Amino acid sequence: MNRSLIALLFAFFAFLIRAQAGDPLPVHTHSIVIDPIVTSDSVSCMIPFTRAGNLILIQAKADTMQGFFVLDTGTPNLVLNITYFRNYPASNPTESGGITGSVPAAAQTKVDSLVLGPVRYYHMDADLINLGHIENKKGIKIFGLLGMKLFEHFEMIIDYDRSVIYLHLINKKEAPTYKSAQLNDTLAYSIIPIEISEDKIVAHGLLKGRKLKFIIDSGAETNVLDSRLPNKVFESVVITKRVQLTGSGSAKVEALYGDLKDIQIGGQNISTLPVLITNLQSMCDSYNDCIDGMLGFDFLSLHKIGFNFVNHKMYVWK
Amino acid sequence: MRDGRHRKMGWVGVGLLVSLFLLASPARVFSQGRNVRTYTIKNGRMYIALSRHIDKAQLDSFIVQYDLSDLDLPRALYSRSPKSFKPLNKMGWRMDIDNNQMVVISKAMIGLGNMNDPAKRMTLTEDHPNSDDLFPSENDNLLFGFNRFVGKFPFAVTDSFVTFYVKGHTRAREVLLAGSFTNWQNQAVRMTSTDSGWIYVIKLHPGKYWYKFIIDGNWTIDRENNLSEDDGRGNTNSVYFKTNAVFTLQGFVSARDAFLAGSFNDWNPGDLPMYRTFNGWQIHLYLAEGTHTYKFIVDGKWVEDPKDGDRLPDGHKGFNSVYRIGKPHLFVLNGYNQAKSVVLAGSFNQWKPYELFMHKTAAGWELPYTIGPGNYEYKFLVDGKWIPDPANPLFVEKKEANTRNSFLIIAPNHTFRLQGFEHAERVYLAGDFNNWTPGALHMKRVGDDWVFNIHLSVGKHLYKFIVDGKWIKDPDDPLWEGNEFGTDNSVIWIEHN
Repeated sequence: MNRSLIALLFAFFAFLIRAQAGDPLPVHTHSIVIDPIVTSDSVSCMIPFTRAGNLILIQAKADTMQGFFVLDTGTPNLVLNITYFRNYPASNPTESGGITGSVPAAAQTKVDSLVLGPVRYYHMDADLINLGHIENKKGIKIFGLLGMKLFEHFEMIIDYDRSVIYLHLINKKEAPTYKSAQLNDTLAYSIIPIEISEDKIVAHGLLKGRKLKFIIDSGAETNVLDSRLPNKVFESVVITKRVQLTGSGSAKVEALYGDLKDIQIGGQNISTLPVLITNLQSMCDSYNDCIDGMLGFDFLSLHKIGFNFVNHKMYVWK
Repeated sequence: MRDGRHRKMGWVGVGLLVSLFLLASPARVFSQGRNVRTYTIKNGRMYIALSRHIDKAQLDSFIVQYDLSDLDLPRALYSRSPKSFKPLNKMGWRMDIDNNQMVVISKAMIGLGNMNDPAKRMTLTEDHPNSDDLFPSENDNLLFGFNRFVGKFPFAVTDSFVTFYVKGHTRAREVLLAGSFTNWQNQAVRMTSTDSGWIYVIKLHPGKYWYKFIIDGNWTIDRENNLSEDDGRGNTNSVYFKTNAVFTLQGFVSARDAFLAGSFNDWNPGDLPMYRTFNGWQIHLYLAEGTHTYKFIVDGKWVEDPKDGDRLPDGHKGFNSVYRIGKPHLFVLNGYNQAKSVVLAGSFNQWKPYELFMHKTAAGWELPYTIGPGNYEYKFLVDGKWIPDPANPLFVEKKEANTRNSFLIIAPNHTFRLQGFEHAERVYLAGDFNNWTPGALHMKRVGDDWVFNIHLSVGKHLYKFIVDGKWIKDPDDPLWEGNEFGTDNSVIWIEHN
């Protein structure tokens, strides 16, 4: 079967699904269809965002529910706040992954459509989770989280200064070479290879010759470092404060804040990176492969930052 | 820790180190100087190392720096009783070194729960302390506001209409005004081009508003407005107050400067500069409904408003001037005819025991006092003894002080209604708005329903009903969420006006 025939079949399949969803066909003649479930009326778009604290809030519409969703690259799936989607049919939760065996069993459901600017997703799987605590802290209605899988076909550039996200749906033809015009000045940024592991973005940092494995997590307001790392790593950490956070249930658990000194990420030296230090055993995957930390807002907001999730690259502006 | 202090110690110190090495291996990694006080992580444990020679002040600053007040470190460090370590031991700390030179304690770092749960992960990695939220509630605890524009005057205001203005950008194709009053970009409005810039006239009630301009697609704060709010990381909004109060001080024309200070700004003397008028000084403010006390500060000297007869004792044998906005509420205490004085105090006046003296009447005591919409706690001070209002069945339990305060609801804006429990004998409402005090907010029976009217501020509230002693969530509210007790709380959102 040649490529054009496959593309034609995909387009036809997408058309069928759209017809089932009962949505009007886009009037835009340049509709891009990459995958059976994601389409976009324009190849590139600019999505403005606002913030609650350091969380990125994007307006989106899941079926009839329109409001703020948090961009959360630390979460694999689309997550819906169960408070507002309680009547959705939920499948029985399934246990999966995690060496500790304590991975929460989220109920799963489907949304017929999710609309994010000009981008539309159809028949999306979604996890139903109680996001009440985040709402309570932020004082704003949060309908859900936009996880990594939603962006796996995109180039995404986050510009905190302008409060916008640039999205480009990368089609198969351009996949090997595509990069935004914003990346034309190759001296302005550095390229860092990333891996997508279990639908999470993994990037490596270098500390005193030791490689540290971080998840890039836009849903984390602070960076996190695993307290189980070798003593050599903590020679580069200055503890600044002890905090007591609510762990499992309502029990208080101690964690520490500190400054990680002189870590290199993608050839750029970060002299001081604030980190929350806690035991990250629960983030080890089913093969007991653990991450060393998470890079959240405190890292992401240092520079303009971009991702090509198709070619597995991260761009960090200088 | 590895700062070369070892070299200064001399042979005695080296000998001590060697013996400590033999006795307890953790000692190897801790410096033995006289001023040592460190907090470190090793082998997955956190270690606190304190020299026995540090003084109380040094220990206090260490405790404050790392927020360790709950550990009672002074007792562990200065008391030589074996019992002194017990409380720390109960909290999971281990004594690693305890000798004449120093104390080293450690504790294993355990996880914060399952970080694969996105809600948990986001809550735990939240910025601490909270950065300013970009969606503050306009009528929540905001007492006053004052515009600070680059030029002398803020936007032109005619009646309720405010003319937003952005200077320049005359070659721009499009300028939009987006703010809390337009639901940001969702209903951003197109501004009109003029010779010198762009304008938009909009009707606003008194209060606080956030806004930005979008000039040819680029978001920008108002460069002519010095007042903005952000979290220090580039996401900033301009702030505009639609004012509703004018303070005028006549005379003092030869004074160098004049300021306004009052209960609304914690009496900060340099906060609110007044501007000169042809015969004195003036300032425009946004003030929330309620009773506000104030003074002027002219060339550094505090003065009462000479033209205003309304005043209250300031607690320093003087008086403060008073500015009231809104309708007064009449506080009444029946009886106590023999009392010499009765003072009203509550959350509305920071519990000042010297300010609100009630007037004697034939039936007892009373005082009209203006307070804005909200829920308040109060008590009466009868000849130096605090009592709750005997005529008010509503109260809030203050567990920490083992006392009850009377609870007052001004301008209720929400009715809780429970249906389907017509056979119940007593139904109460409890929620975050009354500190979850059970048995305090007694719901009224109306037909087969139970109802309660209360004031809820903008934002999210959690609540439950207590039906004949049993806590239940609202069966008619589709919104609810789990709580830390493994049961559910009903959720209600009060939207902005």
